[in-house]
Order: sequence, then structure tokens, then C-alpha cells
Amino acid sequence: MGLLSDPSLSTHNKLVDNLAKHMRKLCYAFYTAGVVWFMCLALPEFNHGTYLSENALSPGLVYPEIRIDANRLAVQMLEELQRERKDHQATTPHAWILAKLNEFGLETHTHNYTLRYPFGGGKEFHGKNIYGILRAPRIGSTEGIVFSAPYRPPNSVHVDITPSVPVLLAFAEFARRKNYWAKDLIFLVTEQEQLGMQAWLEAYHDGDKEGDNSNSYLLAGNLPARAGSLQAALNIEVQDLEIDYIDVKIEGLNGKLPNLDMFNLVQRIMAREGVTSGYKQTPRKKRRSNFSTYEQNLRQMLAMLSTQSSGVPNGNHGLFHRYRIDALTISAAKRVTNSNVKSNPSSAAVPLLKAIEGIARSLNNLLERFHQSFFFYVIVHNDRYISIGDYMPALVALIACSFLKAYLTWSTLDVIERRPQQDGDVAEGYLGPAMQSMKLSLPYGVVLLYLALALFIGYVGNVLPLQKYFMELPLGAGPLTGSILVALNLIGLVLPFVVVLPAGGLELLHISLLLIYGCALIVIGLLNFSLGFFVAVLSVPMVVALNTGKMNRTLRGLTRLWTLLLNPLVVIYTIILIMSFYQFPELTFQQLLLRAASAAMDAVTFALIDSVIYGNWLYFAICTVFLPLWIICWTLALAKRSDNKISQTKLKAN
Amino acid sequence: MSIYCCCFLMTTPLALTLLLLTPLTQSHQFQYQTDEQFHEELVVRPLAGDHVNTYFQFTTRWHYGSQSNLYHTQLTPRVIAEILQTYDVKELHIGLTQGLWRYESWGYPIVEATGGAELWAWFSSPNLTNSSVNKQWMRLANVFSGILCASLNFVDNTNSIAPKHIFRPQFMESGNQSQQFVRYATLPREIVCTENLTPWKKLLPCGSASGLATLLNSGYVHNTKYHSLGVKVRTLCDSDDSNNCIVELTQTANLVYDLKLLEQSNTDFSLRRLFGMGLNGYCELATSSKIYVQRNEQGERFQLSPQPQQELISTVGGYSVLYGVYDIQQQFEGPGARLFNIAWVGPKGNSKREQTSAPPLYAHRYLLGNGQKHGRIATEVINSHYEPLPVVLMELVPWYVHAYLHTLRICSKPQHLHEYTTSELKFNLLHYAPGKQRELPTHLEVGFMLPARSSALITIEVDYLLLKWLEYPPDANHGHYIGSAVISSQLPIGRNYTAMPPEGHLFKDSFNASRATYTLTLRTEALIVSLPTPDFSMPYNVICLACTVVALAFGPIHSVATKLIIVERQTTIPRNLLRKIVHKLSNRFSRRSAPAVAAADQQQSKQDGKDKGIPSLLEQQLDQAESKKPRDKQANM
Repeated sequence: MGLLSDPSLSTHNKLVDNLAKHMRKLCYAFYTAGVVWFMCLALPEFNHGTYLSENALSPGLVYPEIRIDANRLAVQMLEELQRERKDHQATTPHAWILAKLNEFGLETHTHNYTLRYPFGGGKEFHGKNIYGILRAPRIGSTEGIVFSAPYRPPNSVHVDITPSVPVLLAFAEFARRKNYWAKDLIFLVTEQEQLGMQAWLEAYHDGDKEGDNSNSYLLAGNLPARAGSLQAALNIEVQDLEIDYIDVKIEGLNGKLPNLDMFNLVQRIMAREGVTSGYKQTPRKKRRSNFSTYEQNLRQMLAMLSTQSSGVPNGNHGLFHRYRIDALTISAAKRVTNSNVKSNPSSAAVPLLKAIEGIARSLNNLLERFHQSFFFYVIVHNDRYISIGDYMPALVALIACSFLKAYLTWSTLDVIERRPQQDGDVAEGYLGPAMQSMKLSLPYGVVLLYLALALFIGYVGNVLPLQKYFMELPLGAGPLTGSILVALNLIGLVLPFVVVLPAGGLELLHISLLLIYGCALIVIGLLNFSLGFFVAVLSVPMVVALNTGKMNRTLRGLTRLWTLLLNPLVVIYTIILIMSFYQFPELTFQQLLLRAASAAMDAVTFALIDSVIYGNWLYFAICTVFLPLWIICWTLALAKRSDNKISQTKLKAN
Repeated sequence: MSIYCCCFLMTTPLALTLLLLTPLTQSHQFQYQTDEQFHEELVVRPLAGDHVNTYFQFTTRWHYGSQSNLYHTQLTPRVIAEILQTYDVKELHIGLTQGLWRYESWGYPIVEATGGAELWAWFSSPNLTNSSVNKQWMRLANVFSGILCASLNFVDNTNSIAPKHIFRPQFMESGNQSQQFVRYATLPREIVCTENLTPWKKLLPCGSASGLATLLNSGYVHNTKYHSLGVKVRTLCDSDDSNNCIVELTQTANLVYDLKLLEQSNTDFSLRRLFGMGLNGYCELATSSKIYVQRNEQGERFQLSPQPQQELISTVGGYSVLYGVYDIQQQFEGPGARLFNIAWVGPKGNSKREQTSAPPLYAHRYLLGNGQKHGRIATEVINSHYEPLPVVLMELVPWYVHAYLHTLRICSKPQHLHEYTTSELKFNLLHYAPGKQRELPTHLEVGFMLPARSSALITIEVDYLLLKWLEYPPDANHGHYIGSAVISSQLPIGRNYTAMPPEGHLFKDSFNASRATYTLTLRTEALIVSLPTPDFSMPYNVICLACTVVALAFGPIHSVATKLIIVERQTTIPRNLLRKIVHKLSNRFSRRSAPAVAAADQQQSKQDGKDKGIPSLLEQQLDQAESKKPRDKQANM
């Protein structure tokens, strides 16, 4: 006799019955425990001080050798570059950068790439990256480190970070004259923000792609020269040579992070050089807050999670993580005129250059790839972190609700089913065959089909906007994607009214929803904790509240409203509405609504483009996972039962 | 000649003054002098991009004639001569290299070498079989591991192959042609340092005491961008007369200095600047001792001080090179100790960098793909010449990387294009020996015609293997190496070509050595692959945990195994306190024969246990353990 069909192993025991009675309370207790655990993590007792795990890094073991002449060179090159910028309003002065790198005696190359914009009607955009390789004397080009600086032309909408290129070049000139390099150094100047970096990385790692690449949107091409396997990367964004503070950006694509050792290394070296630096560092004025330590920590954590949850990297470093190259951005902010601090312009950038040198030399010491320390962590404070082992219980507690509920619902399924039959049934204690037949007779096939249908709707949302015939419509990219998604949501909304499941289908659907929901969230949480956690915090109460059985009318109405509010599109719209409210407080409410609508459409389009060019899976997750789950939730919230089921029970009662 | 004689005689224990003037020994010396010769040469070539190539070549030739054993050597190290006979080695090449030769800016080197250690040898003897060659090959590697202090002992059948087409023998056999075997291995992880330089110098007749070898100070040699030590041994026999043989040992040191790293403002340099000291003389055992300085191309802008004694023009394959020659034996002719130095003085205030043209053929190699599961090895060969060139490529892929032959693809593109088209080149020649896990490496040789002014990309897909945890080297996350590919071709022109002709043995033999084609061998970069690596802290944890468990388990198991366990029936002990005492007393009197103290103790302990209501066996044992030792002692007494 099989284990599952053994009647002596009845799941129908007292404990389960008792638990089932308090199911909702139990679930909410778990939910509260999860959220409280998360809040507790901000307490100093629950997080740990950072430390360097990789001994090879030994930060600050060497005296910095970079001197004031490097700063002088940076200032001089900045002046030259500013003159060049007058002639290059919308382009990068490639020739000037190339000439400089060549002058220092580096191996210089250019990399061309082409973007076929998916919504551009076959239009192609061309870009060009420039890089110089310092061939290390102590190695045969088997390993390399990347130092990159994004270049923004004067007509860019982003913050001006022109001095990054002179700082990079000044460091390159210094590094060229040293013989201790044991890894090739690549000095890379990219353009067009993350696109250039993505193209360069793709070209580095994929070279010429196999087969025809007519389907791909970014044609990265091949690189003329490489430097072995890349060990680490440092992206430099400098707003001005006179710096106020340094913001260390770490969040990468899909919420990936660089090794904690790398972050610690930067922190230590910056501290040694006397540069104010930190994670999500803010100007001095804002820093002086009257929050308690706990509140500050919690804010820091939430800020990190919210940056991570979108999966969009907040700097060029984020694209490296995909290739298992640890990278981060040091973003130096401009000093706002401050009477207290008088700095000599001729030596202003020396601490920054020294810090870059220190980081480079520590990375140069690395014998192995970053593998110690943590890859999954939340930074609470500049020197405190939470490891994956500490924050996962919060998510697990939240998701446990859905599994618990699934189990209890399954094991009490026959009780619910039998209740109407109880009058006629004499042998109450006899459970075996009756129960089995009950579970066996559930409409598995139909429920599976329904699930497949919901998944299909989600999948279509993923594929449809990129089809040729849709792209040929005279519509902008935003409205097109937006309307397709709205249409799919409407289909999902109407679906439960059209398709009514047979008897027992709703209960089975409920159980499968709970299981799929739990699995999906735990997987998403493992890949991108913040996304999983936020989704869980928002949706777990709703999932717990869902009930297919008898319910108070007002309660049911509330549940339906709640479910409607948690529709992925509604959530996106709400988030953007709140963001635009803070960004444009001068607008009237009506204007705000309209603006948020157009912004939401753009956001959806950008997410789609991100997913096809950079490999961000947020759009995919929303379309293929969250939308189908929502459709099922909505079906359960409506709880439309087929009529023949009711007539059957009536018949039996009679 | 006279210098040579002097030196030879100095080694004899006789008085110097006596022997210097005895003409009797002349004939005796003459015989040795023709037998063994030693030459030392140094070539200095300024390269593009403020680099300087210095190439040392020390050649020993021994015309050993009809000697049955090679134990009595004069200038040739005995080990070398002996090895040739013991292992039937006819030709041997060893390279110990740090860094990578950059063909695009430096042209071709005089001697090719790949990063790390490289070793190949030709075996030939009438009774050799493939398996006996395998054994001899490993023994040979082990011997040289000791001689050169390198990890050549790691050379075995799992990383050696028998190249089919790429290497041609440079030795000559006498008489009957027996079968020739070749073996090739590289150890790309090998790091070359002082410990290799010192034993290498000891192979020289003068060691590092005098001559050009004094310039090779490890402090300066290892601060270069590229340094490569080489040992090449070959035998040349008259095909008709088996007694007419020559052993030729060539030791080379190829260095590339980066003038920017020498911490000086201008590009002037001198021997003293490069090597830390001037030349203090020549090796007295050397027949010739010369320095060649390239004066044209990159060397054109330098003024030499002192001026070379002689200038030579060498025209090879339509390209002329101008050399200035310093004969060191002439320089040191007069009496008195001094240091000889050559200074290169560059033009002032000329920082303009001249464009260098790339050599006709060069290659690069890289790894494509991401992740630790599979990837593609891509080798790019670029032909900038106006004629098609024949190319043979040899890949040695270690066993921990699985290569798939069906994925081998040779794409080509014209040089000016950026991307490879789908057009594939056909290969004319293919040799493939599949690898075997933990036993054999994959060996691939492809030959094809590379069209003029175009480049070819040879890709092969590979899978990375998950190793057993003991097979990971220390620092497992550093990655595993795939050695460089070897590329061979026949150049019709002599541009950038300076390699020695196979029939010559001195650098000056390469002057005016025009021929129809010039055999070129190139080495590409080595690769690092990161195989799937387990978290090595885990075995560590497991070991700790297992040891703790064993330690905890040891105590009880030991006591159980070494002690008697006596289980007493519970019924014998009455519950009543009064009866207990009675029972105890009666027990004591009845068991006089047993070792009194122990029994009483045991009883006591049991009693205690009972009183507490814990019938504990462990407690019993512990008490027993205490009581046993004295008891044993008593028994022994």
C-alpha cells in the first residue's frame, strides 16, 4: 500500500483540525513575525560589523605613490577636455581620448556597436567605446581589471560628470610607470550610459555571436584586444575635481551585488585617504539628521531594497555582475561652496586619486577571484551589514503562510466537502474510501487547463509587444505596450465571469494558487530578495484573506476590492503616482493622474527594453508570474461557483 | 686561443708560471680546443613603445667524435651530455618564461617561448616504442625539474602530446634512419623566478663569475616586462659517419625592458641602467664574446657611446638590418680592471611616437562565453601580408576541459571588417586526438590557407568539468590554465624576422641567411578558465565536524572496548533501607575472593546510582575506569 493512500496515515487528525480552525490567525501571526523580524534587523543586535574576509586584499598595506603631479595632469586634461566639448555637443571626443591614451603608452583600441532600437522602426544607432590596455609586466595577459568612466556629451540630460575621464586618464598615466601590476589594467571610456558598457561587455564575453544575429537588438561586435578573464571593475563618476563626498553605488542588474569585500575595501581605503564616503551618502546638510540610529538604519535598509527591487542597475558597474565580475561605482559629488572648508584646487583631487590607486593595488593583489565574504547582503550602515542567513527568515516566515494555508486547506478539504452531506452520512468516523474518492474526484484537468490559460495570458504579454505587426502600428512605444498590457489585464479581469469551474475546482485552484505563489515568491526572493520581500509584504495578507467558502458579504466585497487594488498594473500606477506626487508637487491632482499614466506607460516600455537589451527580468516576472497569479486570485475572490454544484447539494439535502 | 689555453691550464693543480711557458702542452690543448667551443653573444634591439629587447645566447658545441660515453666533458655540462645518451634524446627545448611577447608592437622574437614552462623533445633510437618513449619523456622531465628547479616534474601523460605536423626536427641522425618520436608539454601556471635563473647560469662554463652572464642579475632580470630562459640541446651527426657527431647546447635569455618602468624621465639607457652594472670582462673560456646592437628601425634614433668597432648589414628576405658589433675580447685586451658600458642616447625633446607596422602574421587567443559550465576557445590569426599564408595551429586542451570537434569552426574576414562573416575556411589538414578524463589531453592540429590581408577565427566549444575535490589546486578560485596555442607558418619575406636558421648555431649565422621561406612559430596567450569550484570552506568545516565527532565518540567507545561491563540483577538489591544494609554486609562477607577494593567501589557506585534513581551504565563504566587502573597495577605486581 502506498504511503499516500494509507488510511492509517490519516491527515485528518485533531491537531490539524484545531489548526485549521485558527488558520487565519496562524497565518497572520507568521506574517507579523516575518515583518517584525525584518524590522528587528535594523537593531544593532541583529546585524554585524563588516570585516575583510579576503586577506589578499590587505587594504592600505602600501603607501600611496600617486603625487600632486597626477592631480596637475588631471586639471590640465580637464581644461583640454572642456575645450574639446565645445566642438562636440552631442558626441564624444574620441580622437582626443585616443590620443591621450596613446601618449601614455597604452595599447588603445576602439569598439563600435550598433543598436537596433525595437520601437525605432528599423532605425539603427551607432556607438563607440574607447579603451586602453596597460599590459602588466608580471603576467601574460591572463587576468585583467577594468577601470571605466562613462562620458556624457554636453547635451545630456544627466548630471555632468566630465571630470571622470581626466581622473581616469591621470590614474592611467601614473599606473603606466609602475612595474608591480600583476593584472592587465583596462581603462575604458564608454558612451550612451549603460548601453555602451553593455555592448562592450557583450563583445568581450561573446565575441562574434554564433549564427545570424538578425533577431538581437544590440549588435555588440567583437573587440580587437582583450586582457584575459576580468577579475574586478571600478566605475568612476566624478562631478568635479573638488569633491564633497563619495557615494558608493553597488546595486546591479536584477538586484545583484558585488562581493561585500569589494565594498568594504572601498570603504576602508576611502576612510584612510580621508574622503567622506558611504553607501547612499548624502550631502553634509542632509546627513545631519535627528533620527535615531534605529530609524536611520531602517531607512538605509529600505532605501537599498527599493533600489534593488526594480532590478535596474544604478550605474555602469551593475552590468558587470552578470559576468561574475565584481564591480561598483564610486560617484564623487561636487563640493557646494562651503566657507568652512578651503581646499587648494591644485591638490583637490589627490585624495581621490590616492584612493583609486589604493583600490587598484589591492585588487592587483588578488590571487583568486572574489569568492569569500558575502554576495547576498543588505547594508544597514556604512560598516554594518545583514547576511543572507539573517534576512531570509523574514521572507520565509511570510511565504510560510501560503504553504501552511495550502496544507491546512488540503487536509480539511473533505471536511468542508462533507459538511453538507453530514446529515445523510451515518458513519461519520469512517473516512477511508469516501475521503479518497473525494480527493480523487476533484476536477484536476480543468483546473490545470485554467492555470495554463492564465499563464498563457502572461506569456502573451511578454511576447506580443515585440511582434512585427504590432510595431508597425502608428503608435508610440509607450502607448503600444501600455495598451497591450491593459488589454491582457482586462481579459484576466473578465476571465472568471466567462469560465466557471466545475464543483471542487475552486478549492483545488485555491490550493494550487497557494503552492505556486509560495514557490514563485521563494524563487524570486532568492534571486532578488528585495523584490520578493516587497511583493510578499503587499500580497500575503490578501492571499491569506482569500476564502472560497462561505463568507460575510461585506468581507467578500472588501477582499475583492483588495484584490483589484493589487493588480500589477494598478500597483505600478500607484507607485508612479506617489513618486510623481513627490517629484512634481505643483501639479493639480488631475494633471498628476495624467502625468502618472503616461509615466507608467513609459516605465513599462523601459522595463520591456531593459529585458530585451540588458536581460533584466522584472518585466518577465511581472508578466509571466505576477499577472497569472493575480488572475487566479481574482477568480478566487469572485468565487463564482457553477450552478449544477449548488443544485446537486440541494438535491441531496432534499 | 691563448686565452683559452691559459684558462684551461689554470684548472690544473700545477704551478701557473711553469705551465704558461711550456710549449709541450700545446698539442694537447689544441685537440681540446677544436673539440669544444663556447660562444657568448648579446643582442640589443630597441623596440617600439620605449621597449628594449636584450637577447643573450650562450652556445657550446662539442664535437665528440667516437667516444662511447659522454662522461668526460669540458665545457658542456655533464648532465646534459649524459641525458642525451640515457634517454635517447636527440633534440630538447625547454623554455621558462614570464610575460607575453607582444608581436604587434615588438615584431618576432629571436627565440619563441610561451608563458610558464614549455618542454619538447625528439627521441630517436633503434629500439624505441611509443610506451618506452612515454616513460623516458617523464624521466627526462623529472631530471630537468631538478636541474632547473622548475616544476617540470608535473609533466606526464595527462598533459603531454605528440605533435604531428607543427614541429620539425632540427637534429641530424647518422646512418640508419630509426623512428623519431616527439613529445610536447606546457605548464602555463609555472612562475619563473630567481630559483630558475641561478641553476640555469650554473650550466654555463664560466657560471655567473665572468662574461656576459654577469649581467643577468635577478634583481634586474625579473623587473622586465618579458623574460624567457631557454635551453636547447641537439645532436648533429654526419649521415655517413656515425662517429662524427656534435652536441650543441644553446642557452638563451630573452628579456624585454620597458624603459618607462626604469623610473627615468627620458628614453636614454645603457647596459648599466638595464642590468645594474657594466660588463666586467668576458668569459675566458669563450671562443668569441660579442655584443650586437641594432642600429636601424627603432635603434636609429639613438647615438651610441662608445661607437661600435664594426658595422654589419644583414639582408634577410629583402629586409636589411644594420648591426653595430662590439668584440668584448678586444675591448678588454689591455691590462687593468675596468667596467665596459654602452650607452644609448636618444634625441632630446622628441616624444612623438612613431607608428609601427604589425608583422605579417600574429595571433591572439581568448575565451568566450560566461558561466562555469561551458565556453568557447577562440584563436584569432591575422595575416597582414599581401599573399595567402599557410597556417598550422596546434591546440593542447587539458583533460578538465572537454572539447567537441564537431563545433570546430574557422571563420574568416578581410582585415578591414570588424565582424566575422559566416563564410568558413576549409582546412587542408586535421589531426585530432580526443582527450580522456584524467588521462589524456585533447590534441588538435588544423592546417589551412589564410587568405591575404584577412584574419581567421578558429573556435571550438568546450565544457568545463567538475573536478574531484582533491584535484583542485591550491587557490582553486584562481582558475585553471589552458596553455597557449602554437601556430606555425612559412613566411615569404623576412620583415621582423630574426630567428636563427636551423643550420646555424650563432647569432651571426642569421646574418644574410636568405632562403625561400622562413619558418615562423608563434605562441598565443594562455587562458584562465574558472571551472565550477566548490566552496572550499565546506570540506574544511566537514573535517572539523568529523574530527569533533570522532573525538567525542572516542571516549565512550574506548571505555566500552576496554572495560568489563557487569550487569547486576536488580532484584538482588532490596528496596528497604534496613534490608539494604543487611544485604550489603552479607554481600561483602560472601565475596571475599574477589578483589576486595574494586568490588566494594563498584558496589558503592551502583548503590549511589540506585539511590538517585538513575540506573546509569555510563556512570558504572566511569567508576570502573577509575578503579581499573590500580587494580591492574596490583595484578602486575
